[in-house]
Amino acid sequence: MAATPIPLEARGIKKRFGDHEVLKGLSLQAHKGDVITLIGASGSGKSTFLRCMNLLEQPDEGDLIVHGEAINFRTTQRGREPANWKQVERIRAKLSMVFQNFNLWAHMTLLENVIEAPVHVLGKPRTEAIAQARDLLDRVGLLDRADYYPTQMSGGQQQRGAIARALAMDPEVMLFDEPTSALDPELVGDVLKVMRGLADEGRTMILVTHEIAFARDVSSQVIYLHQGVIEESGTPAEVLDNPRSERLRQFLAPKH
Amino acid sequence: MEQLNAWFTDLLAGNAIFTANTLGFYWDGLVTTVQLVFLCLVLGIVLAVPLAIGRGSKRPWIKWPIYLYTYVFRGTPLLIQLYLVYYGVVFFDGIQDSIFWVVFKQAFYPALIAFTLNTAAYTTEIFHGAIKNTAKGEIEAARAYGMSKPLMMRRIILPSAFRRALPAYGNEVIFMLHASAVASVVTIMDLTGAASYVYARFYAPFAAFSFVAVIYLCLTFSIMFCFRKLEKRLLAHLRPRGA
Repeated sequence: MAATPIPLEARGIKKRFGDHEVLKGLSLQAHKGDVITLIGASGSGKSTFLRCMNLLEQPDEGDLIVHGEAINFRTTQRGREPANWKQVERIRAKLSMVFQNFNLWAHMTLLENVIEAPVHVLGKPRTEAIAQARDLLDRVGLLDRADYYPTQMSGGQQQRGAIARALAMDPEVMLFDEPTSALDPELVGDVLKVMRGLADEGRTMILVTHEIAFARDVSSQVIYLHQGVIEESGTPAEVLDNPRSERLRQFLAPKH
Repeated sequence: MEQLNAWFTDLLAGNAIFTANTLGFYWDGLVTTVQLVFLCLVLGIVLAVPLAIGRGSKRPWIKWPIYLYTYVFRGTPLLIQLYLVYYGVVFFDGIQDSIFWVVFKQAFYPALIAFTLNTAAYTTEIFHGAIKNTAKGEIEAARAYGMSKPLMMRRIILPSAFRRALPAYGNEVIFMLHASAVASVVTIMDLTGAASYVYARFYAPFAAFSFVAVIYLCLTFSIMFCFRKLEKRLLAHLRPRGA
């Protein structure tokens, strides 16, 4: 019997912007329940790598396999692009993303934000989606904010709302792109608490973060990127507590 | 002050000018103006939405013709556009023998066409600007959640853009109401046409046109009032909670 397909696999991802090669052949396997953290200095390519996984950026080379389904690419004179956008849309719906700047839809209330994609992309009945959304908002502590518009909430509330929106898709994998970087320090804790809860319940997550302490706590795997190459990879104990390279040691050293 | 008082007393004394008969003219003029402006605005929006989407297209053969159209119609006076359509329809061979002539021999429809093309050009630019200003992050989120381009347009970009466009579009509606006064030069008995008629008949320009000015003012304020209400409803997401 075939094993259950793994939620997400990236093989040999390369990406260049103009003459600058940002990703030089990166691979990663996210098994069910994995929490994979990408760390590295700005410009190391960690966000670009994450954005390649749901094709917000088109990788120039390499393969993406989501739940056993490989994404088809074709090459045109504009470069390499997905051969079938319907397939990309279907796959994106399985990979919820949480953004640094929340990116909630400003003209919709929080509740409307959470039910939007389940209703209009997945075709879920509206009443069912609303019931589910209220559960999720309750879980991230925002049920009393259901009728608020994004601009009427703090950054931390918006980000927890964005996590509820991501959960509403019942995603195969959750992608977090520096989810706490745009937050005031006192709001970071609440968001990390929600994310820790997700990790504990066995969600498959890939996150880009600067919160090293958090990464040590929740990750099953930590990947250190430097100039588009995976320089170190392993358990938090291996990578964060016993870094092999001088560069990673410096990166992890407390900043003054 | 005394003069104004005297004029006002005259007006109320109901001298020959403001009789049931002339008020009837003004009423018909009001109906014509409202019909003309309302219809051209509705048709204008219907045209402007796809044009505004096309105006932002990456494909040059879609975007440049639309830009040329809005450029020409925003770059020439409405009166000239009205003359061109009004006198221009007869240059279509055989139109006078076709069923379309029933429609086009009246001045109303050429005026409606000219007004529609004019307001559609301005509205296209207003919507185009609003669409272009959609937050990049919101579009990215829509893509990341698996939305197709048409769905994203329908659910995210247009609803957000229409809200942003609302104040500017309100101005366009008022502008169109005022601009519709030129319809009277092609024999349409709109509000201004009615006023001209009363003026010519009684040789009372000041009375005839001040009366019509007051009607235009009332219309303008009703439109402004409606847009205020609409903005309060649709732009709630831009205000602090409870404000």
